[in-house]
Amino acid sequence: MKKIALAVSALCLSVSGVAAADDPIAVRKSIMQATAASAGLAGAMMKEELAYNPAIAKAAILTLNAGAKSYGAFFPEGSGEGDTTAAPAIWEDAAGFQAALDKYMTDTAAALDAAGKDGPADLASFQAAIGPVFSNCKSCHEKFRVQNN
Amino acid sequence: MKKKLLTTALIVIAGGGAAFWLLSAPTSLEAGALGALEAPSAERGEQVFWAGGCASCHARPGADGDARLELAGGVELKSDFGTFVAPNISPHMQDGIGGWSDMAFANAMLHGVSPEGEHYYPAFPYPSYARMEPQDVSDLFAFIKTLPEVEGDAGEHQLSFPFTMRRGIGLWKLAYMHDEPVVALGADASDAERRGQYLVEGAGHCGECHTPRNIAGGQLYDQWLAGAVSAEGEGIVPNITTGDGGIGSWSAGDIAYYLESGFTPEFDSVGGAMVSVQKNMARLSKEDRDAIAAYLLAVQPKPNGYPSSR
Repeated sequence: MKKIALAVSALCLSVSGVAAADDPIAVRKSIMQATAASAGLAGAMMKEELAYNPAIAKAAILTLNAGAKSYGAFFPEGSGEGDTTAAPAIWEDAAGFQAALDKYMTDTAAALDAAGKDGPADLASFQAAIGPVFSNCKSCHEKFRVQNN
Repeated sequence: MKKKLLTTALIVIAGGGAAFWLLSAPTSLEAGALGALEAPSAERGEQVFWAGGCASCHARPGADGDARLELAGGVELKSDFGTFVAPNISPHMQDGIGGWSDMAFANAMLHGVSPEGEHYYPAFPYPSYARMEPQDVSDLFAFIKTLPEVEGDAGEHQLSFPFTMRRGIGLWKLAYMHDEPVVALGADASDAERRGQYLVEGAGHCGECHTPRNIAGGQLYDQWLAGAVSAEGEGIVPNITTGDGGIGSWSAGDIAYYLESGFTPEFDSVGGAMVSVQKNMARLSKEDRDAIAAYLLAVQPKPNGYPSSR
């Protein structure tokens, strides 16, 4: 039984591996969708539309952190064409894009640190932890995204 | 006979030239236009400064935080007509506008005319600013005079003929510059909708990017705020009416929150040139952001003012 589970998970990994190689646009989009969903959860708690919950807060931070670490791997040269809002600046200013990714990774890692084992204790500490992470959205989208529809 | 034809032709050309010269003449405010105003308030002027988005073009490229108050100029707007370079409008006496009179500043903002009596290119969004109240313009100048003096000239526009001929802008103004309100709000419109109209159509100059233009750069008012192909060439500027492709699913609260935080209802974030604009909007009062939202929801819905990319 355990063997089957292992085989299945290995299969999933290889399938997603193939998808990533074939369609980096689709992969980076799904990472960004998960990022937006987590930011949305965080935002709903900050707007107090959703009661604050440390476990949800931590899950959101973990998702943002995972996205930050993996996102940059899905912008191969030539993937700026097609169903994408990636700006040409990603490749024209590769060092600038990498710096933006590095800053995002640093800020999400710091938020994860601040979250501790059980997540930020209250809304104020969550806001303090997530604020710097959120600032990355617009600073990166200012230069590296083009709205095209 | 030949001589007569030649004379007629010369008269026609001279007449045409004279007509061009008269019609394209820079205009200015009446001498007493600023006389009845209250003493200018730099404090009120700061709100006008953020509403007007001055820092987005006149701060140094990429400036953030307090550096947005150093109006050195230098941002380049690359358009079909050439590259426009935003000038130094810091209160520096030689390199900025510190030596300007109140009247000179008001003529620039409301008539698009320089202290030397030349037309400015409408890359400087005076066709929208022309809808501002003179008091707000006066307050704005008072605020700008409190900002740091910055040395240095930002450089010349890089344009090709015939766009190098500033006099021609006079005809452009006659054809396309309208200082009356764009939207006819009903008699039952709320105060918030009216305040929003003033901010969006005037100082905020939202229509300069969000409304499509014809080939001569005139705004297509029948597609007001319907979105447009970006004048700078990359991508589109979105439809901000409630029509198809626009913000019909957004509540007034969603719009105000976006202007304050930069996040859409789906928690996508602001991007591109709007990032700088949103930073300005975040400095307005909550009432003014709410007013902008109220007005946008009252604008006639239009389908996207740009072709679908797929």
